[in-house]
Amino acid sequence: MHISRLQLVNYRNFERANVIFNKGVNTIIGENGSGKTNLFRALRLLLDDTLLRSAYRLDEKDFHRGLGDWRGHWVVISLEFDDVSQDEAIQSLFLHGTGNVADGAIGKATYNLIFRPKAAVRRVLADLAVGDTAGLAEARSKITIADYETIFTGKSAADFIEPDTYRQLVGDFDAVIFPQELTNPAIGGVIPGMLSISREVCFTFVQALRDVVADFQNNRTNPLLTLLKGRSGEIDPQSFEPISALVKGLNGAIEGLPDVGTIRTDIRDTITDAAGGTYSPRSISIRSDLSDEADRLFQSLKLFVGESEELYEGAIHELSLGGANLIYLTLKLLEFKYQKQKQSFANFLVIEEPEAHIHTHIQKTLFDRLNYDDTQVIYSTHSTHISEVSNVENISILGRQGGRCEVFQPSAGLDVGQIGNIQRYLDAVRSNLLFAKSVVLVEGDAEEILIPILVKKVFGVSLDELGISLINIRSTGFENVAILFHDDRIRKRCAIITDLDRAFIETVEDMLDDDDEIAAKKKALASQVAGFRREAALKQLCDGNRWLTTHFADHTFEVDFVSSGNAGTVVSVLGDVYKDAATIATSKSELESGDIARFGTRVLTMARNAGKGWFAIILGRMITPETVIPDYILDAIFEVHIPVSIGTWASVLDYRLSVLAASQLHAPADIAAMRAQIGRYRRSEIDFAGIRAEMLQAFPADGINAILASF
Amino acid sequence: MFVWDRKDLNDAQVAAIEHPGSVFLVACPGSGKTRTLTYKIARLLSQLKSDKKRVVAITYTHRAADEIHERIEQLGVDTSQLWIGTIHSFCIEWILKPYGVYHPALKHGFRVINAHDTECMHEELCSAVRDTKLTSFDCAYYFKPSGFVLTCNKTAKHEAIKGVLRAYWRKLRAERQVDFELILFYAYQLIEKHPSISVLLGSIFECVLVDEFQDTREIQYAILASILKGSKGQASAFVVGDPNQAIYGSLGGYAITAADFGTRCGIAFKEMDLSDNYRSSARIVSYFGLYNVFPAKIEPVGTDRKYASVVSFDQETHRDGLEDELVRLIKYNVETLGIAPQEVCIVAPWWVHLASMTRRLVAALPGYSFDGPGMVPFARDVDNFWYKLARIILTEASPQLYVRRMRWAGEVISGLSDVGIDIPGLDRKALLRACNAITIAETDGLVFLRAFFDELCAAFGIDYHACASLQEHHDAFFECSQKRIDRLVKEGSAAIAELAMFRKVFAGRTGITVSTIHGVKGAEYDAVIAYGLLEGMVPHFSDPDQVETAKKLVYVVSSRARKNLHLISERGRSRGWSGDYQPTDVLAGCAFQYDHVPT
Repeated sequence: MHISRLQLVNYRNFERANVIFNKGVNTIIGENGSGKTNLFRALRLLLDDTLLRSAYRLDEKDFHRGLGDWRGHWVVISLEFDDVSQDEAIQSLFLHGTGNVADGAIGKATYNLIFRPKAAVRRVLADLAVGDTAGLAEARSKITIADYETIFTGKSAADFIEPDTYRQLVGDFDAVIFPQELTNPAIGGVIPGMLSISREVCFTFVQALRDVVADFQNNRTNPLLTLLKGRSGEIDPQSFEPISALVKGLNGAIEGLPDVGTIRTDIRDTITDAAGGTYSPRSISIRSDLSDEADRLFQSLKLFVGESEELYEGAIHELSLGGANLIYLTLKLLEFKYQKQKQSFANFLVIEEPEAHIHTHIQKTLFDRLNYDDTQVIYSTHSTHISEVSNVENISILGRQGGRCEVFQPSAGLDVGQIGNIQRYLDAVRSNLLFAKSVVLVEGDAEEILIPILVKKVFGVSLDELGISLINIRSTGFENVAILFHDDRIRKRCAIITDLDRAFIETVEDMLDDDDEIAAKKKALASQVAGFRREAALKQLCDGNRWLTTHFADHTFEVDFVSSGNAGTVVSVLGDVYKDAATIATSKSELESGDIARFGTRVLTMARNAGKGWFAIILGRMITPETVIPDYILDAIFEVHIPVSIGTWASVLDYRLSVLAASQLHAPADIAAMRAQIGRYRRSEIDFAGIRAEMLQAFPADGINAILASF
Repeated sequence: MFVWDRKDLNDAQVAAIEHPGSVFLVACPGSGKTRTLTYKIARLLSQLKSDKKRVVAITYTHRAADEIHERIEQLGVDTSQLWIGTIHSFCIEWILKPYGVYHPALKHGFRVINAHDTECMHEELCSAVRDTKLTSFDCAYYFKPSGFVLTCNKTAKHEAIKGVLRAYWRKLRAERQVDFELILFYAYQLIEKHPSISVLLGSIFECVLVDEFQDTREIQYAILASILKGSKGQASAFVVGDPNQAIYGSLGGYAITAADFGTRCGIAFKEMDLSDNYRSSARIVSYFGLYNVFPAKIEPVGTDRKYASVVSFDQETHRDGLEDELVRLIKYNVETLGIAPQEVCIVAPWWVHLASMTRRLVAALPGYSFDGPGMVPFARDVDNFWYKLARIILTEASPQLYVRRMRWAGEVISGLSDVGIDIPGLDRKALLRACNAITIAETDGLVFLRAFFDELCAAFGIDYHACASLQEHHDAFFECSQKRIDRLVKEGSAAIAELAMFRKVFAGRTGITVSTIHGVKGAEYDAVIAYGLLEGMVPHFSDPDQVETAKKLVYVVSSRARKNLHLISERGRSRGWSGDYQPTDVLAGCAFQYDHVPT
């Protein structure tokens, strides 16, 4: 049996979340604050015995803040289990509470925590007339957390994250329509407290940065003692007999030490001297108290581990933190193995950020080899390296959009071949693709090097600050990676930037052409045809997918860069590419010719001579705030970074203003006046159109105006 | 491992308990059936290997369940994996509550109504029927797997009754209510439609024990058989009862055979019997043996086996002299023979005859006290939350009652949590302490309880008005109790409304028991005095199997007695135009050397 799905509705920073889990090892990826801890807490409320009391004490703070007013709403935490079997007696009690028997033999089980208003309040809401907003507001104003109840249900059929389901179960707060039935069978049957599901399964939670050394020293949490305790009860009394005899003998020998006898006599004498015969205790003796009981004796057993090459074995507290953690997890796994023998049919090991415990490489090995049946591991991570460790099919990504956390399944709905491609790509590139807020995909070194510089110089903010990850997929093909961004999978924006490779020279054959020209024309034509084909394929890929867009350079990045009005920038690096003065002069005139056939050919020749990557690097040195970003790149950036916040525009304008001020071409008063306008814009006193007009009026020549104009 | 003293059990009992497989045990009266069951359960519990298993015992009454539960606890066995209760409770807890979401009539929640509610609804619906004169009595029915059966033998009325029942069921369905019959029927439907339920329950249950199988109905057998069959041999069964004591035939109860039940369950039963009677004298045993329907060899082995019993049969006393005769018999047993009053029981077939007679006996014997199931001034609805609480309130804190009151307190607390009331710091001890601390200066029982409930709720901050189900139970408890008291007062028991009478209900037997024949099932007394043994009453005129039923009724009555048995078929009870009632045929036709009761 394993957890196949976790659904969260209105719980903490999840408005609606659907997390799919598979058998074996599962990874939850998410940056800090993306809800990993809350997701685990939700799991624990249902399965961790130690949190059972908390499950009955949810409060206002547990409601999703995006609800605004939580009053009347429900919190639902729903678990679905797969691979269950009614034919295994050991699962029967569990399935009695949770198993879905509706369709013949039981195939799935569900177990839900529902925090909802008590029946009396639900009745009040149900009695409201449709559309009686005032009545609803009044009813809701009277609701307090004391009017809420926690119930556990099983056998539910509802898909809780469907907004329609929520409206049917809870009600429609806008239209003021609440269910007349106070008990909807879709939420399943209530599981009485006496049947504690959490007692039926074995659940261990390993918290991030848990102090394992302290855990080892505490009798209650020491995993070694748990293991020993389990075993000591099974010790054959006969084989233990000689040991307890030895202990008894030992006790006698200690008591018999002459020094012990002396001390005893001295104590007695001193007391008699001090208190007098009447008030002294009648007798005093010193006894050795080594226990001869198995479980007490077992407590004296301690684990010693030799960590490195040396022969020395140290106690746990002498180990490195990683070493201690490794031992801790190992003992936990062994505990599962024992429990399995002792009638536990499902083990869940939930580890928060194992990178805090163990080195990634050890983890990989540990999780790879971990293949106890019926043991499911779920761990969270914010390490980009983990994407390499995990199977993309078992990955869920948590992302935060505003105050809301969302869960993405990167491989949902993909076929085996597609998943394999993504897996290989992730393995090879170790990319932070899965962590990005939004993604721009490029396939060349030039774009990878220059686009970040262009954005930084022109806008004064980095791609990182805009939450954009620029990823160079090189020659792996956009389709293989772009497929991740989809309604069913990662719901984040992704823009593809590529070249259309349309020919910029005359391609019609001419009788005067020499061999080189014929070859160049053929090549240009071939590229153009390939470009059209690529364009059609990418357009088809993006069609109907609101997360994915494609942005084409008409020709090639370098050519389009020049044609956007950056000939001067390329001219300024001629000295880095050519040594010969004549060539430099020819090149300069070609670049400044305004004839695409000439400057296009020249800039490509330069790039080829220097190497595309190196050419981009030397070009990058010359990028200024006045460099023009080609439109298709701007489109791509603003396609993935939307909506652009007031704060972002304001800092862009502030940056442009400081560039203008530094140029010392403008009156400080004008600069100050504009700065004041930006301040007003920041405070929402004027809108975007207003600040755009102000900028255009104050500094009509600044390059940013052209960009602002298109918004 | 649970072990017992060798003298606790006899060889036959030990054999039944130690038999590893399924047992079908026929136990004659006084053979220590309950003891055997108790030890069997204790042994099963102590042998459980997994904490995921349960031992389930089905008893005929809540009282029997409580008694066995307590006895097992006294044996020092952990009962946390025992479920014991009536078949109705079983169906609610194990089938309707967990699987109700799969039944159209239950999926939106349900509430169980008691017999009183049913009666009221039937009465109302009957009064609306124009052409046929119907009473709630005519409307009694039960379910078989194939459909419902009317117990009324006047077939002419059947169409009208069916109309009433359909309206009644429609109303129940609309109100989301189920009565006792529907509990069984819906449980049966769920189990039939979803075989997984039987598979799951069958593998949760280590053993299913059934007490008093002779009064079990076909639909109940079907439910239990389905579960046992679903277990595919994992669960065993332990079925106990006595076919000779089957007295609920009119309600569909019958003694199944081991072979038949075994086939249905897919179990090979080992048939065993208990034939040693520890209760009665040899003379009593030889007397009730005359009424065997199924041959049984019964051996008197108890301490009273040599007692010189007085067994009398009186066909002479006129109904007008009945009171004097009863007084004479009571005085003879108590004052002449020195039998304790609480060891005397007066039995009659119908409650109507007992009510007025009790009143007259109370007047005629001022030095004696009387009690019996009919003397309970409030509704004994064990599923009612307030009844559960009343049990604690009406009993004194004492070492003898400690275990029982702790259990009752646990039931009250779980009743609260069932309706979503969770009071921090409220545990069983706290509840008992709070109950013990409240004093209410009231002598009227219902007024006292009302005030007590309010004060206790206030102490724990419970607002039961805000909880629909508690409020409903509250209304039902007081309404039902008031009706009952009014009726009893009308019948002459003026003192019934007093708090003292309320307390007496839980005080145990202190006086002479007055009971119907069906009410003495399972009990035993030194002296049993039965009257109204008249054809038409014993057996009931509507019973289809007159001779057999009559025999079983006399068998049950007679076998209750340890020492003395007095049977009276009084003269002069008018049966309308057909003259007077005549003595029960099987009784009159029985050749026995009766004793004369000395004056």
